[in-house]
Amino acid sequence: MGRLISKNLARTVLVLVVLVAQMPILWTLLGAFKSLRDIVTPVPKLFFTPTLENFATILHNPTIRDGLLHSVIVVSIAVALGAILGIPAAHTLARHARRWGPDMQFFVLSLRFMPPVAIAIPFIVIYLDLGIYDTLFGLILVYLVTTVSTTIWLAVPAFERVPREIEEAAAMEGCSDAEIFWRFSLPIAAPSLFGALVFTFVLVWNELLLALTLAAQNATLPVVAASITSLGKEVPWGVINAATVVLVLPPLVFIGLLMGVINSMVRGGGPK
Amino acid sequence: MTRKHFVFWTLAPATVVLASLALVSIAGAVWFSLMNRTLRSPDYEFVGAYNYLRLLRDSRFFNALQISAIWEIVTVTGTLALAIVLAVLVHETVKSPLRRNLICFAFLAPVLLPRVAAAFIWRFLYSPSLGLLNYLAGLLGLGPIEFLADPSIALLSVAVVDIWQWGLFFTVILVKLLETLPKDPIEAAMLDNASLWQIHAYVTLPMLKAPLISLVLVKAVESLRSFDLIFVMTGGGPGKATETLDLYAYQSGINLGGRVSYASAMSILLLIVTTIAFTIIWRAGKKWAG
Repeated sequence: MGRLISKNLARTVLVLVVLVAQMPILWTLLGAFKSLRDIVTPVPKLFFTPTLENFATILHNPTIRDGLLHSVIVVSIAVALGAILGIPAAHTLARHARRWGPDMQFFVLSLRFMPPVAIAIPFIVIYLDLGIYDTLFGLILVYLVTTVSTTIWLAVPAFERVPREIEEAAAMEGCSDAEIFWRFSLPIAAPSLFGALVFTFVLVWNELLLALTLAAQNATLPVVAASITSLGKEVPWGVINAATVVLVLPPLVFIGLLMGVINSMVRGGGPK
Repeated sequence: MTRKHFVFWTLAPATVVLASLALVSIAGAVWFSLMNRTLRSPDYEFVGAYNYLRLLRDSRFFNALQISAIWEIVTVTGTLALAIVLAVLVHETVKSPLRRNLICFAFLAPVLLPRVAAAFIWRFLYSPSLGLLNYLAGLLGLGPIEFLADPSIALLSVAVVDIWQWGLFFTVILVKLLETLPKDPIEAAMLDNASLWQIHAYVTLPMLKAPLISLVLVKAVESLRSFDLIFVMTGGGPGKATETLDLYAYQSGINLGGRVSYASAMSILLLIVTTIAFTIIWRAGKKWAG
């Protein structure tokens, strides 16, 4: 009997925890469809006439549209270059580098330890001197640190899981190293690699500090969103909520993939 | 193409890009920290260790150092504590794989949110006049709580957001890790009449020591990137109550007349402190795990 009660209690607690954990996101989603009148009420409203005017404001606002466009350009190029540079390197690190492979991997990981300000401050001055301050090109260049290193870090285990027998059989057939990589290892590792790229995408899509310091005028979406509060005197909470929803959607699409990455990492002996 | 060529051509481009960008930023920061350069004027000269000596007399710098340290400790312990408690709760109460996966999906959502978005979401909830949290507090008879404007709780209020994002994410990882454990030791402990929490405290969690240490390291590194959250939620205020080192470096390097040299000296010190701290933690963790 006592066990049954404690079991039900545990269930109730868990349901509450899940609700509380989701509440902030759901509340923002609701807020995005509320007119300001329905937001500025002493008692929070759960039922209201939904409106699309917040989203209309966003899509008609040139700053926000530009931010969205810049984000898409910068993030897709940075992630694509990260994949082109990082994936072949990861394959070689996983397969052909015995002596200095671990050192190289540690170097790649240690780049994640670097405080972002330590990158941002010197690059402001260097970019000003080179004349590429406040350009999308400059932003893509610094994002390569994140995309290349993260791609390598996550792709090495993906290639390590490719069965060696397949690669050895291909080598016996006379395939060159490049052919083995391109025709066998890459397609087999592709699902995990895709997960790795998605993770990189989310990291860069969400980045604020470097975008804020290095490209203030050619701002990406997070920078634009961060500055919305200062539009006019009245805080446009509905618009902010709608902007948040737009910002949140692309990463959330990939939630299933993130789950797959976690599953394969756990099976591979935990995160390293 | 020989093996040597293949290895060279696959590794060299990535290595060159990473190494040159990392070198340029570190060398650049060291170089600028020895000058008195600002963004306002094009002239500058060599001033040696002046910036570093001035940092050591800057009380705002030490305040930021202290805030950063508190932020690290609160977010790392908070995240791990929440993740362990919730993971055990999910592991013990939800047995059906479908429901467990649904919960995992729900817990993964917050960490995928851009920090800027998470910051806005919570600023809205914390708002003293129209926030949901203050409405609930009002129902309980508590006056409006100035979550972000009260210096004594502002840092904690921001830390809650970080723990909300990362604690739930780590919960999912721990739930998955608990599933991979062998059943025998747990069954043996159950035969000895150990309670559920005893089993987890003395049997399962020690078995997960190595991954738990990695999680602590990952979170400690990730907590250093607190800028976005704090910048949007409080901007370092009220006063200097939530001004971490990266925020102060940003403020002095960009906003306050763009004293890039001073900010460079600060980021070099930050780099040295974190490198030393992580080497020590890394070694201690390895010793403890091994």
